[in-house]
Amino acid sequence: MMTADLQRSWVEQLISDANAGLPGQDLAWLDSARADARQAVAELPLPNRKQESWRYSAVESLLKNSFRPAPDDVSELQALDLQNWLLPAYEAYRLVFANGHFVPQLSSGALLPAGVTLGNLRTALAGDSEWLARWFGQTANHTEHLFTALNTALANDGALIHIAAGVEVDRPIEVVYLSLGQETAALVQPRNLVVLEAGAKATLVERFIGSGEAGYFNNNLTEIALRDGASLAHYRVQDESRNAWHLSSLYLAQDRDSRYLGTTLAFGAGWARTDYNTRFSDQGAACELNGLYTAGDRQVTDFHVNVQHSVPGCASRERFKGILFGKGRAVFDGRILVDKQAQHTDAHLTNDNLMLTRDAEVDTKPQLEIYADDVKCSHGTTVGQLDPEQVFYLRSRGIAVDAARKMLCLGFAGEIIDTVELQPLREYAAGRLADTLNAAVVEE
Amino acid sequence: MLSIKNLQVAIEGKDILRGLNLDIGAGEVHAIMGPNGSGKSTLSHALAGRDGYQVTGGEVLFDGRDLLALEPEQRAHLGVFLGMQYPVELPGVNNMMFMRESLNAIRRARGEEELDAVAFMTRVRDKARLVDLDEKLLKRNVNAGFSGGEKKRNEILQMAMLEPKLAILDETDSGLDIDALRVIAGGVNALRSPERSIILITHYQRLLDYIEPDFVHVMVGGRIVRSGDKSLALELEEKGYGWIEEEAA
Amino acid sequence: MSPTPDTVDELIRSGYQHGFVTEIESDTVPAGLSEDTIRMISLKKQEPDWMLEWRLKAYRHWLTLEEPEWAHVQHPPIDFQAISYYSAPKKKGDGPKSLDEVDPQLLDAYNKLGIPLDEQKALAGVAVDAVFDSVSVATTFRKNLAEAGVIFCAMSEAVREHPELVQKYLGSVVPHTDNYFACLNSAVFTDGTFVFIPRGVRCPMELSTYFRINEAKTGQFERTLIVAEEGSHVSYLEGCTAPMRDENQLHAAVVELIALEDARIKYSTVQNWYPGDEQGRGGIYNFVTKRGDCRGDRSHISWTQVETGSAITWKYPSCILRGNDSVGEFYSVAVTRGMQQADTGTKMIHLGRNTRSTIVSKGISAGQGQNTYRGLVRMAQRAENARNHSQCDSLLIGDRCGAHTFPYIEVRNPTAKVEHEATTSKISEDQLFYCRQRGLSEENAVSMIVNGFCKEVFNELPMEFAVEAQKLLNITLEGAVG
Ligand SMILES: Nc1ncnc2c1ncn2[C@@H]1O[C@H](COP(=O)(O)OP(=O)(O)O)[C@@H](O)[C@H]1O
Ligand SMILES: [Mg+2]
Repeated sequence: MMTADLQRSWVEQLISDANAGLPGQDLAWLDSARADARQAVAELPLPNRKQESWRYSAVESLLKNSFRPAPDDVSELQALDLQNWLLPAYEAYRLVFANGHFVPQLSSGALLPAGVTLGNLRTALAGDSEWLARWFGQTANHTEHLFTALNTALANDGALIHIAAGVEVDRPIEVVYLSLGQETAALVQPRNLVVLEAGAKATLVERFIGSGEAGYFNNNLTEIALRDGASLAHYRVQDESRNAWHLSSLYLAQDRDSRYLGTTLAFGAGWARTDYNTRFSDQGAACELNGLYTAGDRQVTDFHVNVQHSVPGCASRERFKGILFGKGRAVFDGRILVDKQAQHTDAHLTNDNLMLTRDAEVDTKPQLEIYADDVKCSHGTTVGQLDPEQVFYLRSRGIAVDAARKMLCLGFAGEIIDTVELQPLREYAAGRLADTLNAAVVEE
Repeated sequence: MLSIKNLQVAIEGKDILRGLNLDIGAGEVHAIMGPNGSGKSTLSHALAGRDGYQVTGGEVLFDGRDLLALEPEQRAHLGVFLGMQYPVELPGVNNMMFMRESLNAIRRARGEEELDAVAFMTRVRDKARLVDLDEKLLKRNVNAGFSGGEKKRNEILQMAMLEPKLAILDETDSGLDIDALRVIAGGVNALRSPERSIILITHYQRLLDYIEPDFVHVMVGGRIVRSGDKSLALELEEKGYGWIEEEAA
Repeated sequence: MSPTPDTVDELIRSGYQHGFVTEIESDTVPAGLSEDTIRMISLKKQEPDWMLEWRLKAYRHWLTLEEPEWAHVQHPPIDFQAISYYSAPKKKGDGPKSLDEVDPQLLDAYNKLGIPLDEQKALAGVAVDAVFDSVSVATTFRKNLAEAGVIFCAMSEAVREHPELVQKYLGSVVPHTDNYFACLNSAVFTDGTFVFIPRGVRCPMELSTYFRINEAKTGQFERTLIVAEEGSHVSYLEGCTAPMRDENQLHAAVVELIALEDARIKYSTVQNWYPGDEQGRGGIYNFVTKRGDCRGDRSHISWTQVETGSAITWKYPSCILRGNDSVGEFYSVAVTRGMQQADTGTKMIHLGRNTRSTIVSKGISAGQGQNTYRGLVRMAQRAENARNHSQCDSLLIGDRCGAHTFPYIEVRNPTAKVEHEATTSKISEDQLFYCRQRGLSEENAVSMIVNGFCKEVFNELPMEFAVEAQKLLNITLEGAVG
């Protein structure tokens, strides 16, 4: 068989194996969503470099693995295990998933403020799933994206967050995805849904953590709906194992006057890609997307940002920065689309990359597609190395060259890290980056 | 020369000028003062015909003609000049070329002959000296990358070039150091003549030390609430606007 | 008072100035494309065998290709069998030996276009090759140029007279396998200009080619090759016009530039093909492959284009910066109005050390025009200290047009530095008001602001043509506002 056929049969096998274990098979709405998605999986071509959205994202290494769904059994997980991963001085309402499955004993169950619903998909499908039926699959686009279709067809478990109208959640909500000791090429597909009703306000932290050398594939998908005037700060730290594949698909639907602040810090995984998709339904909404990525040690890191302004008077800001070293590769693809009727759009995107080593590589592609005249839109991109003059300046003040370089890198990344308004998380991220840079400087 | 009767102007449906009256005779200098947001710039834009300023009532006669019925460039052709509070930048448009186009457009409209290159150059040089504007700025693009003070000088230079009948100078003195202020004032004074009227919009008495006004008006809430001679400006300097606002309320 | 859709309509209707047809008897081969067509073209041009073989090889490859579909360009399918691939004004005898022998009607056509071919009346310091449909009808100032050692002649003549040069360089920058339309061109190209500047020579005059499509139902497939040897300099300009016709006509040219060590080529285009009417009927499909190869160290290739015509423009004048310290530049103004679509930009492929490139692209969209900048900047692994700066600005006039920017940036060398910026704006009300306050009419104000927007690019044109380009832009935008 040709490679392509093998890959195709992997996808088909996944689908045909799946049915037995999937929750909520008695629910008509879910059944039809899954059926649609299955159909899409069958019809959509496998990603390849000829497709614009995979042009630079070497996906071959992912497809040839024939990942299998991770076994359900995570019962041996103890509170102790989690301690290793928690941030100090940090109170949060927490949901924990291990290898894609909800771990109730590690999650905060009770004591949630009124109006805050935290749960997991599998449990919710067995009980009251009314609001789920209303939102599930509404913003994600599985007819165009294969991995979205795959996630939908095999939707199994994931985080559910619902904040009632006008409620301001007093603590951050944290969702931790642990991938532990997976020997086989395991596939985990968290399927998350976040709904903030009108005027609700919350902070959401997502952390992806992998231990050891595990070579799994985390194909997670998050749908986020922000109703009128709702406001969500959403911080994501991707710290998967060095051999892992990671694909985050985020679908964002913003209603009138809503605010979304999203920052993704991507440090881990061998191959990682984050897709942001934003749509506005009404005017006055604002979306800010930030990203920081580092890649070395043959890592591939990839961001796709697709912001669609189809209504007037919304604003978006996208700022992404990357630091590449070793044989690290970065891909950035950022699209701002402004429809004809989306007058008074304010949309600006920047992508800046630092290359620290000879073998690093950057492919970046910012795009503006503008069909309305009364708009303010721009994008800017830079790729380069550290400014030798700046390095020299620091050295002339007695700072060793490595330290100087590191200092400048931290300065470069600071703009993104500072968008994280939770102090413990911000400090963790800065520390994590410093460690990465230490390794990078040594490596060089 | 200029007669404003009960002028009412709204922006985006919001009433800004609420029945403003003002008469300006030939050769007179009128200073208009007033707190921020009282509508001074709105008045100047409405007189110059800026789009988006809806005249909801009143009339403005300029030498007996209905000014409000005219397009902005037609008003300029009649001799209305607005020195803007925030002069606009025109990237890629050469300053000299712009002034020449402007001057000749106005001359054409008046049936006068266009100035040839030599006559124009001589005139620009003269006038640039008058406002102490670095000749290098003439070769740059209109206001692009000019400092605040340079922009204001460039406005006065254009005024000097165009020799308007009615010059409205909207906060031309704001943000200027004392030397620049003197230069600008010198430029304005040089233009004072029995045929030319000037409206000075300003916050500061100090400009009036250099350009002596015939009348001083105070604007509050879209109306002129008090008029007097230059001593009114001194009084304002001392007491602020509060007492007038109270009286007007 | 800002340009409203209504007034933009007027803009769209402003006249095309070069739409006349020259009634001249012509020798036009029947429509259709086959190996026989190619043999016939080759025969008419009295080509050597190697040239025919070269064409046939390209044609056979072309048959294996599929017509590309472009994401942001739409047009009905082209029927390649409905096009005539060769049309030439009937010649008296063996082709013009001197200007006296050129058909007066042709001279008249060029006079009307403002390109007098009579050397006495010609623009001082500009030599012209006049290409009418498929053939070069006259080339001026050849004697003066020959004295300097410069070869400036029709491509078909070069094939016969300078085969060793043509064989060495033709297809060496754009091979026939490059893309669909370049491949077609390689098979059927009819005429174009050949320029050779020998080592150390600064070409004493501006060289230019004036392309005119006249005949209906023909395509124009010209081929231009410019070779600048070590240390030589040349500035070349092309202009293009066509009559107003209801049908779409295909213009698929290939231009190859080769700059050896320390050579400089400046290539300027003022493209004003017929754009079609406001409903989008007619107009030229301008599908052109232009590429410069900076082969030698310190060589320099600069592309400047002012694109106001054509129903569809698809072209990416590019530079391969092979030599160390070589420089590539791309300056572009593209105007679309009516139903015009322009998809244009450049590729800067940095291979050598210390290579530099600059991209300045100004897109102006009015009416229902769609303007796309598409560009690639690639810093290869050994492009040590390479630099690129790109600036892409779009100006939208009216709310039915579109402006799109798709840069691709690929960096494989850490010492390389790439900076790209893009902005989108409209003519601001403040700017318009400011100009009008100073007595300028709205129309004048718009044209002044638009010209200002394009200034960086116009500055790059040779003096004689910068004025022309500005006028052309003004005519194009005439009636833009009430
Ligand atoms: N474009 C506009 N849209 C809405 N309100 C405006 C606009 N321009 C001015 N205003 C309002 O009109 C009032 C008068 O402004 P302005 O004439 O600029 O005052 P001044 O020049 O006296 O400081 C202020 O309340 C200001 O906010
Ligand atoms: Mg003001």
